[in-house]
Amino acid sequence: MATKSHYPHYNVLDAAEDWDPHTRKIVEARLLPLESVEHLTTAETKTLYSVVAALIDDDRSEILDYVVKHFDDTLGKRIGESQRKTGVPPQADLIRRTLSGLGKTARDNYGKPFPELTVDEQHTILGQLERGQIPADGIWMNLPQKEAFTKLLSLTVEAYYSHPKIWSEIGHGGPAYPRGYVRTGPGLVDPWEAQREE
Amino acid sequence: MQRRFGDQEVDICIVGAGAAGGVLARDLARAGLKVVVLEAGPFWDPQQDFASDELSMQKLGWQETVLVAGNNPLKMGHNNTGRGVGGGTVHFTGVFLRFHESDFRVYSQDGVADDWPISYADLAPYYDRIEREIAVSGPKHFPWGPFAGPYPYPEREPLSANAVVFRQGCEKLGIKSAVTPLAILSAPFDGRPPCINRGFCNQGCLPNAKFSTLIQHIPQAIAAGAEVLPDCTVTQVEVDEKSRRVTGVIFVHDGTEYRQPAKIVILANFVVQMPRLLLNSATPAFPDGLANSSGMVGKGIMPHSSYDVYAKFPEEIRLYKGTPVLATTQDFYETDHTRGFVRGYTLHAHGARPVAMATGISVGAGTWGPQLRRAMLDFNFYARITQVGEVLPSEKNTVTLADEKDDNGLPLPLVTFGYGDNDLKLIDHAVAKMKEILTAAGGKPEFVIPDTAHLMGGCRMGADPRTSVVDQWGRTHDHPNLYLAGAPIFVTGGGVNPTETVMALAARTADHLIQQARRGL
Repeated sequence: MATKSHYPHYNVLDAAEDWDPHTRKIVEARLLPLESVEHLTTAETKTLYSVVAALIDDDRSEILDYVVKHFDDTLGKRIGESQRKTGVPPQADLIRRTLSGLGKTARDNYGKPFPELTVDEQHTILGQLERGQIPADGIWMNLPQKEAFTKLLSLTVEAYYSHPKIWSEIGHGGPAYPRGYVRTGPGLVDPWEAQREE
Repeated sequence: MQRRFGDQEVDICIVGAGAAGGVLARDLARAGLKVVVLEAGPFWDPQQDFASDELSMQKLGWQETVLVAGNNPLKMGHNNTGRGVGGGTVHFTGVFLRFHESDFRVYSQDGVADDWPISYADLAPYYDRIEREIAVSGPKHFPWGPFAGPYPYPEREPLSANAVVFRQGCEKLGIKSAVTPLAILSAPFDGRPPCINRGFCNQGCLPNAKFSTLIQHIPQAIAAGAEVLPDCTVTQVEVDEKSRRVTGVIFVHDGTEYRQPAKIVILANFVVQMPRLLLNSATPAFPDGLANSSGMVGKGIMPHSSYDVYAKFPEEIRLYKGTPVLATTQDFYETDHTRGFVRGYTLHAHGARPVAMATGISVGAGTWGPQLRRAMLDFNFYARITQVGEVLPSEKNTVTLADEKDDNGLPLPLVTFGYGDNDLKLIDHAVAKMKEILTAAGGKPEFVIPDTAHLMGGCRMGADPRTSVVDQWGRTHDHPNLYLAGAPIFVTGGGVNPTETVMALAARTADHLIQQARRGL
């Protein structure tokens, strides 16, 4: 498995002028620093930064800003959540209760708030959440832990892998309209695509 | 709201402007009937509303909450249901394949499920017509099933690296493969350009190279005089209890309730919302919901099993490039008793963009933290194959009404699903086969993602009103002027993408209604 980018000099945004304006606006907005949140509380925001950093193994704030913004937008979303298992609270509730539960478990187990734990300690708690092994009392009562873990992971991953800096790191061509691709077969790369460096 | 026909009775009211609703609206309007189409979602403008971006285009899936339960709760939204004019055709991969003859006679042939009340021969002329109408691209010779080609337009080229390694793996193992028949243009047609290999078929086609009813059938329907009303959620089908005839529908637009009277009502609102609407339309004379004297409304829903296998290769594949599905095998489609299960599946080489792959290997396969980050640094070195596997119908897999209500005060749908024994054996076989193909091509299989795609059934066809909801034309057994169209009326699901069959069935229902109309509706 790779530990660093195969494309250290590639920047997907170099081609942004060739994108359609609508796509460009959407993607470039993800680069903005997060100045304020609309729905998350200060405490939730702090915990959330550490949770998503641990889930994705990346603590660069300029990227986490967008991931946290995606959570904040999700909390304000009215249209629905596509599917929800019976017995699972609506997603805004689920996210809020889980963040507060993680804070409580951190204090109970380590005597510190979640963001102040070591990465290993954070991973331990998140691993327990993933397996549904946090004692189901107090705030965790009737809170389906595996579902909570999946919700946090899914929102984190979809936002993180929508960030153009991450596209550059993994060598994704990004939006390709109106240009498209000409060279698509094995070993073929259009001139503007990421060029592998080893 | 502007309404051309207002409260006046129209000939036809269609609920849902997707694959089936689009075909019906166009064909019936062209026959001179007064048609109104009510669509719950927006009227998309590709140039303004679509983007080359996975996350922002999740909006093309049905986002309203559906409650899910069962041993294998379904992933909904973008996975199977479209929202807005065009419905699922706006975000489908464009795979355009016919059912095989055996799909219509599963009980006769394999002793499971049930036969359809129609045969392949009944649908063949409609398959032909639809393929010509949208200029399906595909091979000169298609090696499986009753239709051997040629397709109206040449097969797509060039292929993506992912499709090439898939075909190489197949060839090494003696498995036949073909370039996939697609509702994506390989040459100009009807003022639309051929595909530019942008790769965002599931996010809505920006160049309009991929067919959808949003850009083809609905504009043709409007040109022929149909009225298409977006952002209108139908909350009830009204019925005259004495005559059992339906009289029209009630719908909500922007918080206000309206009524659309119609001589014929056609529901084309897919597998979850169709049973929900029928059940929510219960009256004292029809306490179990409309069209439900058999008790079969909402029963026997079927997804396709759609496991993905990702394998890592020593050289770059670049899954993001080009049309997602470009190569296919149906060598495992028909029942083979040596395998220990009945029915079969299709395999497609299937591209992916970062959100789809990262979500698959994390949420689907349990990878997170450093493992996820490292695997995704090798994004460009993965190839992927996906399965479209037949799932047999079971009365335990249902759409019912939940206690929880939506903003209109209507009970939410509850979708319950679990695989049966045969389904699980079929999945095991398909996963092993996908791994073999990727390994033969030089890759190392690393991630298996359990998933489903599509939904069918829940208002099945049949000759017997005691065990089915609609007849072979889509007319409900209980109400002479209420029709159902689309994937819900499937008896079995086949092992292949359903859109072409949805459209062929809708075209057949349209022909039937046009005949009826000549005698007076």
